[in-house]
Amino acid sequence: MKSPSETGERLIGGRAIRVDGADKVTGKAQYPADLYREGMLFARVLRSPHPHARIKAFDFSKAKSVPGVVGVFCGDNIPSPGLYGLNFADQSPLARTGGKVRYVGDAVAAVAAESPEAAEEALGLISVEYELLPVLQDIHSALAPGAPLVHENRPGNIFHSARLRHGDIEAGFAAAKVIVEGTYRTPLVDHAVLQPEAGLAYMGDDGRVNLWVATQWADEDRRQIAEALAIPKEMIHEVVTTIGGAFGRREDISVQIVLCFLAIKTGRPVKLVFSRTESMLACTKRHPFEMHYRVGADKDGMLTAMQIELLADAGAYASTSLVVLNTAVTLATGAYEVPNVTVEAKAVHTNAPVTAAFRGFGSNQPNFAVEMMMSRLAEALGMDSAEIRLRNILKTGSVMHTGQKLEGGVGALQSLEAGIAAARELGLDWNRPRAEGRKRIGVGIACGCKNIGYSLGWDDHSDAIIEAWPDRAVVKIGVCDVGQGSNTIWAQITANELGLPLGSVTVARNDSDAVPDAGSSSASRQTFVSGNAVLAAARNAAEKLRSLGPEPEPGLLPAIGSYTYHAPTTYPLDPETGQSARPNYGYGFGCQIAEVEVDVDTGETRVLRIIAAHDVGRAINMANIEGQIEGGYLMSQGYSISEEYPLVDGKPRAASLAAYIVPTSLDAPEIVPVVVEEPDLYGPMGAKGIGEMTMLPTPGAIGAAIHAAVGVWLDELPMTPERILRAMGKL
Amino acid sequence: MSLHAIKLKVNGCPVEATVPGSMTLLRFLRDELRLTGVKDGCAEGDCGACTVILDAKATKSCLVLAAQADGSEVTTIEGLAGESDKALHPIQEAFLEAGAVQCGYCTPGMLLTAKALLDANPHPTRDEAKVAISGNLCRCTGYAKIVEAILLAAVKLDSSGRGNA
Repeated sequence: MKSPSETGERLIGGRAIRVDGADKVTGKAQYPADLYREGMLFARVLRSPHPHARIKAFDFSKAKSVPGVVGVFCGDNIPSPGLYGLNFADQSPLARTGGKVRYVGDAVAAVAAESPEAAEEALGLISVEYELLPVLQDIHSALAPGAPLVHENRPGNIFHSARLRHGDIEAGFAAAKVIVEGTYRTPLVDHAVLQPEAGLAYMGDDGRVNLWVATQWADEDRRQIAEALAIPKEMIHEVVTTIGGAFGRREDISVQIVLCFLAIKTGRPVKLVFSRTESMLACTKRHPFEMHYRVGADKDGMLTAMQIELLADAGAYASTSLVVLNTAVTLATGAYEVPNVTVEAKAVHTNAPVTAAFRGFGSNQPNFAVEMMMSRLAEALGMDSAEIRLRNILKTGSVMHTGQKLEGGVGALQSLEAGIAAARELGLDWNRPRAEGRKRIGVGIACGCKNIGYSLGWDDHSDAIIEAWPDRAVVKIGVCDVGQGSNTIWAQITANELGLPLGSVTVARNDSDAVPDAGSSSASRQTFVSGNAVLAAARNAAEKLRSLGPEPEPGLLPAIGSYTYHAPTTYPLDPETGQSARPNYGYGFGCQIAEVEVDVDTGETRVLRIIAAHDVGRAINMANIEGQIEGGYLMSQGYSISEEYPLVDGKPRAASLAAYIVPTSLDAPEIVPVVVEEPDLYGPMGAKGIGEMTMLPTPGAIGAAIHAAVGVWLDELPMTPERILRAMGKL
Repeated sequence: MSLHAIKLKVNGCPVEATVPGSMTLLRFLRDELRLTGVKDGCAEGDCGACTVILDAKATKSCLVLAAQADGSEVTTIEGLAGESDKALHPIQEAFLEAGAVQCGYCTPGMLLTAKALLDANPHPTRDEAKVAISGNLCRCTGYAKIVEAILLAAVKLDSSGRGNA
């Protein structure tokens, strides 16, 4: 075996080219909609046009008479209870007679037909008798006394509440020289993954159902399909195709259960592809939050107290709202150390779409509020807005508001300092005097903190198997490469440990029959958790290969290395105090500095430059890291100034990419990624996650820059021209 | 439903077909010719994932009917590398080297938009590259490395002399 240095490649820390790149640039990569199978049927799902209604009756007679229609089904055809859900089984794959639909887009019935045209025609001929129910269009209508219930077994529409008590809040406010207070709101937003949900299912000769789909966690899909359809999980074989982006969207079930159900019912291969409109109507969104913050600081700008109330719109079904709210609580003070904190938090059901995982997972919303508070505190104290952050930023040894003492690998201060240094070099100054004229430029600074991995007592683990020969290796691990490049990371780590060129390592297809489960591609966890599993399995394989002697025969059976990595243990929050010795085993940090131009006549904003300094522990692949920073930043720019999925009386105003404003290349500023490498205590070679952290500082940085430009504080995302003009008193 | 007999060239190969008048070029390329490198992201002209080159112009294939492409030349991602099916086109190489590919769903449309741009303007400025891809949405990259890749491709095409390939 050659050592990595002999192969001449810089495997770790360089810019290794993606292992899936060639297939993606030639069009060979197959996403689920690209699959065809002999004799396949085309499925369509009827979606509820009503935000809240009870189903009195179905009539499928006309739909069934359409030539080419093979079957029309509703929930009555699924054995009871037939429910699914990521954390709580409360969703019906299709609606039942006497059951309810709870948002516009809820699945009602499904058609399987010989052609897409026949399926479409039949869909329009399905007759459903609805009894319309009062609509709970937002958190406040859902919390009003006597409000009707979205779920009869969840009183007051409260799905989950959490509280936290840290230090002495009264003493904290008594010690404050200044106190600022504000209410902040964030919108319902769509992931707008570029690849709409799709899949193909068919029965195998072995009697199992085969499902090909783009997902974030095949094993969890299989668990939910099995539970909903009352079949053993082992009877579901899932193959993960190339995935066209995820960002949390593909954590929840979309096409999976209906596809398997139709394949079992019809005995035929079935393909289901969502249109963009169906994707937006049916699929999950980010939780809107309403947040009240009251924050005190002493004359030196040291934070003394933070009193926080969080209300999250949990939408129509549970999904991961409990964990999202708990994440918001554990990260409610942002990237800062605050000695005295209280948090009261509630997740409330409404007739909004299902709110669930979305890059940041409950941390983005409170981080926006915290950063706006920090900028306002700086103004109230007449202090430099970077300086107040430098004084309060988390460091090794800091005690978080959960009571967790940070043991190490805290690159928050380093990110902040690196961001400040880069800004100085580029001449970005957040203290520059306010400009005159129509187009005014301001600069804003903000930080962010996001946990890595599963929290609060979940056993976060991953299994890897590596088959190694003297001249090649195969990595077997059930990780979904959603586009972030995880397969390339496994190949890099394996090649490095085995002394192979990158091209000699293959990452096996993510197939539930062939690879061990590695948990979800979420929570910025895979480089950390599966990276550790792959690293140890590769070392194990290398050791076994060495034991075969200096020149083992290339044709021999492979040396098999395997490893199950368990991340450090975490503990749940105490239900009364919200305290925990270790709610999370790791955190990622970042600082962004935005230069924003505001047109004072139109209220339009334009981000000109952004510095994004992020602590990644150690960069395994610099191109991937920069790609995450650039892409995460721009997604958060959309969240900050343009993206919103507005509901009017529970009904979406529009469900298309024409109405939902995703940033284009012309909206993208010059993005300056600054990679900070403060090694993590437990990450593989010191690496940690980066996926979510890249979004966190953005709204606060842009909000501060708008204030620097035109002198108004905004308190609601997106910071649209209308909201800016209103804040300026021009509307 | 009206049917139309059409003749066109797709990736250099003559194609004859009879298509319903309502069939988009996107559906024809994907479902009839199984050129699934042409991606469907919205079918409404908003995302650009289905971009092909139609008679030298980057075109959203969901906004053109198959019947309208009668007599035209179409290049899809499957045809970008040209006849030699081993080598990548310099633009494809540039996208890989610049790290411009993440999930890959926008990639075929981006590559063909870049090809049409570079055919018409072999030395685009950064701003011209940004304008050219402004109808192609990408949710992963923030566009930074895609713009870099286009500028890198221009350099590669200069040195390879394949500017009009």
